[in-house]
Amino acid sequence: MARAVSTRRKIGFTIAAWAVGLAIFFPILWTILTSFKTEAEAISSPPSFLFFDWTLENYTTVQERSNYFRHFWNSVVISLGSTLLGLLIAIPAAWSMAFVPGKRTKDVLMWMLSTKMLPPVGVLIPIYLIFRDVGLLDTKTGLVIVLTLINLPIIVWMLYTYFKEIPGEILEAARMDGASLRNEIIHVLTPMAVPGIASTLLLNVILAWNEAFWTLNLTAAKSAPLTAFIASYSSPEGLFYAKLSAASTMAIAPILILGWFSQKQLVRGLTFGAVK
Amino acid sequence: MKRFSLLSPRAGAAFITPAGLLVGAFVIVPFFWVIYVSFTNRTLLGRTALNPEFVGLANYLELFSPHRFLDPGQFGFSLVLTIQFVLFSALLGQAALGMALAWLLQQVPKPVKAMTETVVIGAWILPEVVIGFAWFAFLDYDGGTLNGMLDAVGLPRGDWLLDYPFWVIVVFNTWRGTAFSMMLFNSAFASIPPSYFQAADVAGASSWQKFRDIGLPLIRGHVVTDLILITMWTFNVFTPFLLTKGGPGNQTEVLSIYTYRVAFRDFDFGKGAAVGVVVMLINLAFALFYLWVARKRTPGGAA
Repeated sequence: MARAVSTRRKIGFTIAAWAVGLAIFFPILWTILTSFKTEAEAISSPPSFLFFDWTLENYTTVQERSNYFRHFWNSVVISLGSTLLGLLIAIPAAWSMAFVPGKRTKDVLMWMLSTKMLPPVGVLIPIYLIFRDVGLLDTKTGLVIVLTLINLPIIVWMLYTYFKEIPGEILEAARMDGASLRNEIIHVLTPMAVPGIASTLLLNVILAWNEAFWTLNLTAAKSAPLTAFIASYSSPEGLFYAKLSAASTMAIAPILILGWFSQKQLVRGLTFGAVK
Repeated sequence: MKRFSLLSPRAGAAFITPAGLLVGAFVIVPFFWVIYVSFTNRTLLGRTALNPEFVGLANYLELFSPHRFLDPGQFGFSLVLTIQFVLFSALLGQAALGMALAWLLQQVPKPVKAMTETVVIGAWILPEVVIGFAWFAFLDYDGGTLNGMLDAVGLPRGDWLLDYPFWVIVVFNTWRGTAFSMMLFNSAFASIPPSYFQAADVAGASSWQKFRDIGLPLIRGHVVTDLILITMWTFNVFTPFLLTKGGPGNQTEVLSIYTYRVAFRDFDFGKGAAVGVVVMLINLAFALFYLWVARKRTPGGAA
């Protein structure tokens, strides 16, 4: 009897969990479906869910009309560029914090993280003026610099938590076996640090790819990445749901793929380690 | 925690310096610049763009001028709106719903849990512009999916973005951020020894009793962390702009959007900077409180 009740309860909970998952994912799913509809079908009432004439027309139109791939390429350059530059600056810092911690290391780290809590709108004004004066507005270089700077605290912090998990005893053991410092770094530490660096890289590429506030305000047509492109696409001459859905779907596809590969690391990084 | 020495302390300090300087420069320089500009009448264009004049506290007095403080489009109005926004979408929406979801996920088989988590996280990591558009397409009066579905079942259409803009951004932000609270609570529940719940099962406790008497009290610390973080994020969130542009009228002009409008639509940098300073001070208070709690809970981090 008790078992029957708990089985029934379990089924109920399972159905509820699925329903919630579906409800939350619905807007995304709908966007993806709409991207395969014609404009007329996209706003038809009642809406058609799966039974419509699937078409790829929107995807080709978006590319022809607004040179989608240039924005895609901008996104790639900006997110990869800022991530690699960030790693270059952050790896030594995190390394030093993890392996040669001083009295103030924790404070420096927390201070860096706390800068992420300042409102970007306040920082935007001076950055905008500086960029205008030195000619960095609407350049990929400018965006790479800004995104590197805003994400640097997270990169440092994430690398630090990964490096800290590398056990010191292994190094001692290696040294006992006669390994030189150079050999330790190449053969012992590097292999252990690479997964952490890879996760950080992935997370930061996603963050930079998604970034919309800075890219919207610091770029115009020339160097706009996908996020800014989509935002501009929706405003001027009325909305084209199906085409915008196609553009959106192409913009989120890399994120969904990267994200599902690295779900756990992603969550850890995005929540400042509040979730492990 | 003794660390095997890989670097001399001096080299260690040298390694941190570039990152420290860059983060510092990016935060401290704009910080003082904003404070300075907030005492001037600098604009983006025109005569005062190049030769701003010192105006003392004029910008601040304008923000806090008592007889207009709470008028729509004024600082006080946005502040009150932001507080309501935080209350409904972060505390009642994200935290409560996230808690319910996390608890629900403790009761379901592993594969279902993994699947639901994946989907929820999927919705959470997508770019804001895409999310904003997806919601716009869902709620729009003419071609919106929601109205289409209401038609199909014979219910009246609603002009959601025009008639209920505040509730639209509340639901939107709840939807957007619930995943975070859910994941945080999820991992918190997972850290409770299963034997506690098994003992309660033997005693015949209901799910609600287990939640109230075991689950919730044991993750109290995580709840505090969560509440502070989501309050701070929601306080600064700019995404509603993508959905409503702060309108109609000023009905969804939360503080971040208000600052943005004053500085980049009205081009009044001086006043915008003054708002920026006030907002930064509020944030600083949040951040200090958060760091204090984080430090108290575990020596050494937000974990």
